[in-house]
Amino acid sequence: MNSNLIARQAKNNIYLPFNGRIEEIIPLAPDVGLFRVRVESQLTYSPGQFFMVSVWGAGEVPISVASLPDEGGVLDLCIRKAGMVTTAIHSLQTGQSIGLRGPYGNGFPLEASKGRDIVVVAGGIGIAPLRPLIHWLIRNPDKAGQVTLLYGSRSPEDMVFRDEIEKWREGGINVVLTVDKGNEKWNGHIGLVTGLWHEVRTDFKKAAAYICGPEIMIKAAMRDLFFLGMPDNRIITTLEAHMKCGVGKCGHCYAGPKYICTDGPVFSYEEIKKHAIL
Amino acid sequence: MKGEWILDKNHLSYWLRQLRKDRQLIGPLRDEGRDIVFRTVENIHEIVLDCPASLPSPKEFLFPQYEPMLRLNSNPSSPPLRKGVRAVEDLTDKNRRVIFGVRSCDISTLGLLDKFYLGKYRDPYYEQRRKNTLFISVVCNNPEPTCFCIGLATGPYLEKGFDIQLTDLGDRYFLQTGSAEGARTVRSMAFLFRRPTKLDYEDQYEVFLSSKAGFQKRIGLEGVRQMILSGRVKDDFWQWVAGRCFECGGCVYECPLCTCFTVTDRVYPDGIERVRLWDTCLFKGFTRMAGGVIPNEKMVLRTKRWYYHKLIHYPETLGDFGCVGCGRCTITCPGKIDMATIATKIKGLALNGDGE
Repeated sequence: MNSNLIARQAKNNIYLPFNGRIEEIIPLAPDVGLFRVRVESQLTYSPGQFFMVSVWGAGEVPISVASLPDEGGVLDLCIRKAGMVTTAIHSLQTGQSIGLRGPYGNGFPLEASKGRDIVVVAGGIGIAPLRPLIHWLIRNPDKAGQVTLLYGSRSPEDMVFRDEIEKWREGGINVVLTVDKGNEKWNGHIGLVTGLWHEVRTDFKKAAAYICGPEIMIKAAMRDLFFLGMPDNRIITTLEAHMKCGVGKCGHCYAGPKYICTDGPVFSYEEIKKHAIL
Repeated sequence: MKGEWILDKNHLSYWLRQLRKDRQLIGPLRDEGRDIVFRTVENIHEIVLDCPASLPSPKEFLFPQYEPMLRLNSNPSSPPLRKGVRAVEDLTDKNRRVIFGVRSCDISTLGLLDKFYLGKYRDPYYEQRRKNTLFISVVCNNPEPTCFCIGLATGPYLEKGFDIQLTDLGDRYFLQTGSAEGARTVRSMAFLFRRPTKLDYEDQYEVFLSSKAGFQKRIGLEGVRQMILSGRVKDDFWQWVAGRCFECGGCVYECPLCTCFTVTDRVYPDGIERVRLWDTCLFKGFTRMAGGVIPNEKMVLRTKRWYYHKLIHYPETLGDFGCVGCGRCTITCPGKIDMATIATKIKGLALNGDGE
């Protein structure tokens, strides 16, 4: 299916999914898989946006993009088996097709953090929407200063994209890892990501932050960074919500006066406080 | 586009029969349970015009309670038609309808609904139905005790926004056209209508006046909005509201401006249908995520959201209140926390302080 056809279909009916072909499924952690989906190479999207991913008979779920669009026409979706639809997605095999609508949402304000030191804070599978951001930062070293990634997960086994972390370090990113519960092989930190601010060698007042993880972690990290002096309009997070449409109609993701799907999913701490979104 | 005509009452059923030739005729009918409902009209004389306002809004003809959207016409386990492509059928409803006997308040919702559905992302199902539906509204000569459209300028008669508006003048209707489609419809049967005379204008004016005089409730919502924005409506007020909510969803079902829906896949032996159904923010599971987290688990968050959406967020984002004063929630709500009551109570806070 060419991109013109996709555009035409979407123009006529925003609810009509197009098909992507699952090229590879990489297990990342228990119940978490990276679904690499072959899509039309002209399909563009940016870090922080999401697709409504569907399996006929099960339904649709919003999944954020975990790759940059120019990585060979392959869209990466990092999906945890959590509910009915994601369970159906996990039952799919390589070569089968998967429904997609999108991209939707605003995406990260990449230009806003231009030239600044950047703190990326990830909790668990919350690393997924931040992965294309990390790739973008590695590819555009002139667009940012020192980049630090603070990444926490429940256990070393639950840490996703472990194989890529070395590559990210080689790309110039200061990666600091922590887990709630270690094992005999673990030699990183133990504890919450919000206990790692001392690992960030930057002036928080001049830096910017990108945060994603469980809601409780997002709240704590945003508050901490704000108290460390970072202006609230540069503390950026991406939120998740139950969604049925992705285009601001179904009402499920309505938070404050905003729809997470069309006004977000990326919000600054300033907006979150102003509109009581979290 | 704007036109004024007189329709003799004797000509009404003939006119409706003519309209029915190329459109489905919908009108207020009495069903077996003696309720008034908008349904397809078989016998024109069964149309009930001077009915109480409790009749459900005709919103179901623009966004039905149950609407099939897409259909995958094959067994899910069978191989795709072409590589990666299966035949997906778009189930957009293409019926042409004329809805007769609609009230001014319900016509007033169309402006906001159009902004909501046909904004940046155009909802194809709503758009198609809206395009194919002609509304013939009737001015309310006898407003119900629950009606408060007069405080919101959404009734009892309208200056604009209608296709065709009728005013009952006893033996004849004063007919106004307000859209191109309305004007075309009238012009195509011009022999049924005559131009109004001075007497007709005078009678229409008199009907408008007596209708306005018949309102028992005169509630504006701007003062309520200001009260909320000024922070004078405290959380304990919303706690009190939440304590009275039965979570029945009746207000949402009746509200002509409640639009939330859920989507589900129905699996049949010969295919899969993706359908949408009305849903409501008042239900606990509405925001539940796959992991089990429910952001709006507390009742107070849900009732507050319902009011905030209509009183604060709609004016902010679309420029109009999410309420047209139809009074249906007043009739439906078993907890007596309908829009009119809450608006009056919030205004009372301004006078009596914050005590309940």
